[in-house]
Amino acid sequence: MQFIRNFSIIAHVDHGKSTLADRLIQLCGGLEEREMQAQVLDSMDLERERGITIKAQSVTLFYNSQAGQRYQLNLIDTPGHVDFSYEVSRSLAACDGALLVVDASQGVEAQSVANCHTAVEQGLEVLPVINKIDLPSADPVRVAAEIEEIIGISAEHAARVSAKTGEGVAELLEAIVLRIPPPKGDPQAPLQALIIDSWFDNYVGVVSLVRVMNGTLRQGEKLRMMSTGRSHGVDKLGRFTPRSVALPELGAGEVGFVIAGIREIDGAPVGDTITHDSRPCGAPLPGFKQVQPRVFAGLFPINSEDYESFRDALAKLRLNDSALHYEPEASTALGFGFRCGFLGLLHMDIVQERLEREYQLELISSAPTVVYEVVCTDGKVLHVDSPAKLPAPDRIEEVREPIITANILVPPDYVGAVLGLCSEKRGAQKKMQFLGTQVALQYQLPLAEVVLDFFDRLKSVSRGYASFDYEFSHFQAAPLVKLDVLINGDKVDALALIIHRDSAYQRARELVDKMQELIPRQMFEVAVQAAIGSHVIARATVKALRKNVLAKCYGGDITRKKKLLEKQKEGKKRMKQVGQVEIPQEAFLAVLKVGRK
Amino acid sequence: MSGPEAQPETRPALPTAPPLTVPTLAAPPLALYLHFPWCVRKCPYCDFNSHTLHGQLPQQHYLDALVADMAAQAPLAGGREISSIFMGGGTPSLFAPEAIGRLLEALRQLVPFQPQAEITLEANPGTIERGRFAEYRAAGITRVSLGAQSFASAQLERLGRIHSSDDTRTAAAELHAAGLANFNLDLMYALPDQDLAGALEDVRAALALKPAHLSHYQLTLEPGTLFGALPPAGLPDEDLAALMQQHCQSEIAAGGYRQYEVSAYARDGAGCAHNLNYWNFGDYFGVGAGAHGKLTDQAHGTIGRTQREREPRRYLASGAQAPLALRDIPDADLPFEFMMNGLRLVDGVTSARFESRTGLPWSTVATQLTSLEARGLVERNSEYWRASTLGQRFLNDVIAAFLPPGPASAQSRGQGADRKNPEGPGA
Repeated sequence: MQFIRNFSIIAHVDHGKSTLADRLIQLCGGLEEREMQAQVLDSMDLERERGITIKAQSVTLFYNSQAGQRYQLNLIDTPGHVDFSYEVSRSLAACDGALLVVDASQGVEAQSVANCHTAVEQGLEVLPVINKIDLPSADPVRVAAEIEEIIGISAEHAARVSAKTGEGVAELLEAIVLRIPPPKGDPQAPLQALIIDSWFDNYVGVVSLVRVMNGTLRQGEKLRMMSTGRSHGVDKLGRFTPRSVALPELGAGEVGFVIAGIREIDGAPVGDTITHDSRPCGAPLPGFKQVQPRVFAGLFPINSEDYESFRDALAKLRLNDSALHYEPEASTALGFGFRCGFLGLLHMDIVQERLEREYQLELISSAPTVVYEVVCTDGKVLHVDSPAKLPAPDRIEEVREPIITANILVPPDYVGAVLGLCSEKRGAQKKMQFLGTQVALQYQLPLAEVVLDFFDRLKSVSRGYASFDYEFSHFQAAPLVKLDVLINGDKVDALALIIHRDSAYQRARELVDKMQELIPRQMFEVAVQAAIGSHVIARATVKALRKNVLAKCYGGDITRKKKLLEKQKEGKKRMKQVGQVEIPQEAFLAVLKVGRK
Repeated sequence: MSGPEAQPETRPALPTAPPLTVPTLAAPPLALYLHFPWCVRKCPYCDFNSHTLHGQLPQQHYLDALVADMAAQAPLAGGREISSIFMGGGTPSLFAPEAIGRLLEALRQLVPFQPQAEITLEANPGTIERGRFAEYRAAGITRVSLGAQSFASAQLERLGRIHSSDDTRTAAAELHAAGLANFNLDLMYALPDQDLAGALEDVRAALALKPAHLSHYQLTLEPGTLFGALPPAGLPDEDLAALMQQHCQSEIAAGGYRQYEVSAYARDGAGCAHNLNYWNFGDYFGVGAGAHGKLTDQAHGTIGRTQREREPRRYLASGAQAPLALRDIPDADLPFEFMMNGLRLVDGVTSARFESRTGLPWSTVATQLTSLEARGLVERNSEYWRASTLGQRFLNDVIAAFLPPGPASAQSRGQGADRKNPEGPGA
């Protein structure tokens, strides 16, 4: 155990985590040069394109130190986005150290701060790594100062590397074995193994990545999942180097994978503790929780015939994504679909994109909404994840909305703009701290406002310099009302919103104006109205199109004309017909675009 | 805007009940299109196969090629006589009257013409043609299509035209004098900086010249043209363009012309027989550089499209004699291609014509038609189905209903050479 090092890399998106991981794998001989596919750890195409790692993966490397000692290095990957903070905390719980990778020209960003605080709280040794020192704009001295000021750890011995050129990476490996402590754990104690990540494999079922904290895990043994209480036999053990290599056992301190014939991802949830069926441990490892979706939206196939394949696709995605929730939803406007729950907006984007790309589904989504806690007059408390499910006003005692704690880092020049945005979004300031080149802000904000367009607006008012991280705080009562949207006099359920009463008029005005912009002119005039109850508070009209006809058509080549019409038809297929009116996807998300020019 | 409305059971029966057997594909009338690819100057809005003439016009060489081209295609006439001929371009009137006369004689030897066949020549109202209309008539031309486009000199200049409004007036007078009163004027509207009054003035100026036929088009910015790449400033918006069309339609109707197609108006009996054949999904030979043809093969029950080499030099070198390649129109595309043409006509389509010209049963399109009828886009009487007033304005939405479903339709066959719009603003 003395020669094992378990560590993660904490980095903001694009600060070079994957490139550094690739370089470490390469230097330790994990893969031959010709086998190296850039950014090995990000396996899905989607991740590669977005530059983020969605599901944690890990790799075991063997490193011969300068002192001639062979070390087992377990690099445990962490998801790099705000929506996945729980997964990050479980990855870190498996580690004894972490590399904090900061871009030498961009400096520290909020997300790294939050993850780094989690690491420090969990007692990890954090090694600062200043990356991209090969860039002309690199300013490692300033960045080192930022690390000390903002994160509060010493950057005196910060490694200066270029993952791209390989400069400084050999020295970093040496620092990893010298400065990160070996794992602690009792090989003789009852088994406690932490599930870092689980995913579904079509052939073997659920594969779990685990860190053995105490005890030893052996092939063929009977295991028990502490959260479900169910027992499973170990079919296969091993580690990723990054190729998978089978092993007879995993000892205390080691990281590897377990396959135990589990068919459902919920059978091996992230953060759960695995123990022996015959000699169970006294208590599970701390920190386990069931992840709760916080953002909900209706997803509907554009072609109603796709409903079955949509349901199958969701079931397949769910195999690998325990955070994804869904249940059937029937909308009068959009037909049959599913109400889906997500960790956050990015998670929603990723799921929708995968459904469209991997399953060739064409989907339309209603505006995302948060989960409200509604206290009814009869004392019952409901969790409402859709405006359509909001009880009639006379049955409501109180509506409570989820509040988050947001941490924002922004250069001083943009503080004013960010404060203005937070106050517009009904935020309450908790902290403001000037830290040299950046200002750290802490706010409590309604999640609903964040879900709308906060992140984009924050980036825009700070010219991209502000960074942001959040966690759920509590539910809080607020004067919230349901806003209905009517198209040519018909209420469209998928367009309804729950909004704050004080901003209802302004929001409604902006919303109908935006919809007027987004709904293309059609053969007939289209009236867009916003109403609270039976009271219409805003209205806009989409003028009728005058004509759509080709001026000329003779005996010549019809290919181009046909293509033009096919394109028109294709465009309409992306729209949903509500009554006689065709409404494009963007109009269903108009509320997200309100206030943007 | 495709509505999934349920169809009430009480609707009247279709004009023709779906037949029990597959209808027989008939050999439709056969027309002949002749393309002349050169112009004195290429206009910035023109997307036809036209090329600025540099140096000497290869008049005899090209005529020989046209005759060879016709000879190669003639066996496909299947015993039919030519019902109409259209000489489009480019500018066919760059060719001298006696040359045109010789050409017609040579073609007639290869495929006989019907005795009263309409033979149209596209011409510019410029100086080249001046004084030659009587000779063209003597050469066999029965109808002339004149590219007037506008009567406002500023517009003519912006459109790159080399003639003046006075040239157009002179040409019209000469046509009347030459006994070619059966002529068409091409006119465009929605021109840069044009207002409603300007569009109406153009129409009045055109009607004053007493043409038998008027083609009144909205200026369209086509890809692959100068205007397509660099749209001119001051184009009227969609609403104004529609208003212009509406007012001009009334003005033209008041002048005694009946609209019979989206952009075509004619005095009684003066509709363009050649274009009517296109819109009625008839057959036609396409002879000349870049020319497109459509030919029905009764024996095999197929309808094919032909296309000649587009580039004039290559056409002259070898393209004219090349064996004719027929690309069959898949059955799935036939309803769309038929309706795309037929529903442009104010009098619409008949089930009998659909069946005989496509070889498909009327039931192939009945569902789409009844659905369009329920949406008020088409209407019918005992003889025809046609676009309603609303459907005429939204004809693209109407014909899109007949596009074959699925991605297969996206793989349209053929590419490239857009045939010269015979009555279009191309000369």
